[in-house]
Amino acid sequence: MKLQVEIQGQTREVEIEPGEAPGQWAIRVDGEVVEADAHMVRPGVLSLLIGGQSHRLVLDPHAEEPALLLGPQRIAYGVEDPRSLKARRRHGGGEGPATLKASMPGRVVRVLVEWGAQIEAHQGVVVIEAMKMQNELKSPKAGKVVELKVSAGDTVSAGDVLAIIA
Amino acid sequence: MPTRAFSFSPVASPRLSVPCSVVFRKILIANRGEIALRVLRACRELGIRTVAVFSDADRGAPHVLEADEAWRLGPAPATESYLRGDRILELAQQTGADAIHPGYGFLSENADFAHACEQAGVKFIGPPSSAMRMLGSKTNARQAADAAGMPRTPGCVTGLASPEEALDVAAAVGYPVMLKAAAGGGGKGMRAVFSPDDLPSAFAAASSEAERAFGSGEVYLEKLIERPRHIEIQVLADEHGHCVSLGERECSVQRRHQKVIEEAPSAVVGENLRRRMGEAAVRLAKSAGYTNAGTIEFLVDDEQKFYFLEMNTRLQVEHPVTELVTGHDLVHLQIRIAAGEPLPFSQDDVRLRGHAIECRVYAEDPANGFMPSPGRITRLLQPGGPGIREDCGIYEGWVVPMDYDPMLSKLVAFAPTREMAIARMLRALDEYVIGGIRTNLGLFRRILRDPDFCAARIDTGYLDRLLAEHPIPQVEKEDGAVPIPAIAAAALFEASKPTNGHALNGNGAHGSVWKTAARGEAVGWKSHRG
Repeated sequence: MKLQVEIQGQTREVEIEPGEAPGQWAIRVDGEVVEADAHMVRPGVLSLLIGGQSHRLVLDPHAEEPALLLGPQRIAYGVEDPRSLKARRRHGGGEGPATLKASMPGRVVRVLVEWGAQIEAHQGVVVIEAMKMQNELKSPKAGKVVELKVSAGDTVSAGDVLAIIA
Repeated sequence: MPTRAFSFSPVASPRLSVPCSVVFRKILIANRGEIALRVLRACRELGIRTVAVFSDADRGAPHVLEADEAWRLGPAPATESYLRGDRILELAQQTGADAIHPGYGFLSENADFAHACEQAGVKFIGPPSSAMRMLGSKTNARQAADAAGMPRTPGCVTGLASPEEALDVAAAVGYPVMLKAAAGGGGKGMRAVFSPDDLPSAFAAASSEAERAFGSGEVYLEKLIERPRHIEIQVLADEHGHCVSLGERECSVQRRHQKVIEEAPSAVVGENLRRRMGEAAVRLAKSAGYTNAGTIEFLVDDEQKFYFLEMNTRLQVEHPVTELVTGHDLVHLQIRIAAGEPLPFSQDDVRLRGHAIECRVYAEDPANGFMPSPGRITRLLQPGGPGIREDCGIYEGWVVPMDYDPMLSKLVAFAPTREMAIARMLRALDEYVIGGIRTNLGLFRRILRDPDFCAARIDTGYLDRLLAEHPIPQVEKEDGAVPIPAIAAAALFEASKPTNGHALNGNGAHGSVWKTAARGEAVGWKSHRG
């Protein structure tokens, strides 16, 4: 079975074939075949034995940045649209409008810019309070505030659009 | 009471047998999170029934699930729930609770609340409101320190009336100086000032910040001790005039004046310094008529001179490290003291043994400016094994509310030596998985491997310097080789999705990973954690 996986910002072709015994898999990555013994310990927690080496992998379905946890490593996994990753990385570059989103749920304490204002890159736009801490969200680029979607006192969820800077 | 030098002893501290004569039948716990659970467990162990209180955000919180009774306080904001002293006291009376344990934070250092409890005949498990008032204001506490003959930082002992007065005091003690809110805590209303030019504006900023945060704009000024260590002494005082110190905790690893890692004992405190600090702490507690558990915080300079900083009139977050090295359960003792029992041991009986380190695990993202990270915990694998204690208030599926402090748990490692405790903590951190939200677990791995931390070369500026020199990368490295097990796992997770799993079943070789998962669930992976 051929699969495409999105991992650490790359699309990788992987072919997996079940072996003779339950849990045995032949996994082909970049032309190399790896024999693995896989055991789903519980949903989202996978034990892999590869050449006797034991690996515990945990699927972290984080809302914005889903990842695989391997020991202390956090490996980005399963980004739905690979272009979105590239787009995110391009953000600071200045091409096209930039969307400022809430990175966490919270309450808007202050709005630091006005609609239509010309602002600098990294200038503070909105202050959000969550868990007794105030955090200033900064503009990813220089430009004009073309949309301002929140005002002081609003409650926002992670991912909500706060402002658009063009 | 005479005090004797502590000694490190390889044998367990002699525990006096204590008759279980606690008079309380029921205790209301006026808190949430891990500390509510911590107190609740102590009550259970003492055969005392428990009353939990909760806000709308905490209906499913562990302290609600574990308590004998649980009563709603109000909406999520603390001002409408956990800070509603009137409602909490009312609930204590309605439920027939004999006593209230305030935990830390919220109402724990609110003298008015303690006073209201005294008036209502409900025992407040903590010091009398009079002692709390005397020590709760930092300026009053500095006056008390002078009266008890305790060294403190040079500076004023009353609030500053004007920027001009601040300039006079600063000129007298010499720059750099520190402006502090008299009612302060948690780093709010604090400003370091390095020259007279900056003082007036810093005075205005500190004062208005203090006004906003604490409802009092009173600020005072003290000489700034450069590169100090934060070392604090735990005291316990009963209601019969006995007071003992239980050694120190080193809390120098801080970020923005918030403790991140605490340990006991301190690597730089020898028997002589421990005895002198302990005696000073006991003198202050006694002179203030203090009872129950309290902590006297000191700054210690590189010449091992110590200066009184403030007294925390409650149980501290980091109390477990003291419990592990002394062998005493501080919450049990708090309850016994509040019930009128005498301290079951004397200063001479206090022995320190081994080394304990605590990490404060927070829902925050160190790679993104330590932004809070509330949300659902989708995965939780907790560490265990020898010498590991985890005081936590979370479970898999729990939604960490955005309304309160982002602390998830306190992970504590205990071992015969500091070196072994560090190794043990690193081992536990590798076992620990918290999925769905960001945490600071990675930050602890970095600190515990840092040569300066391992050599105990730390002061209160240590962590800020470490983070400035080695910032945590915002975007994880995307170009590095992806480990093969991760790619294999990604493919198997992909294959185990119901749609793909269905396709896999068709080849007849054996069930899909998805099925395996379902089976795993059926045969009870829950027992795996036990």
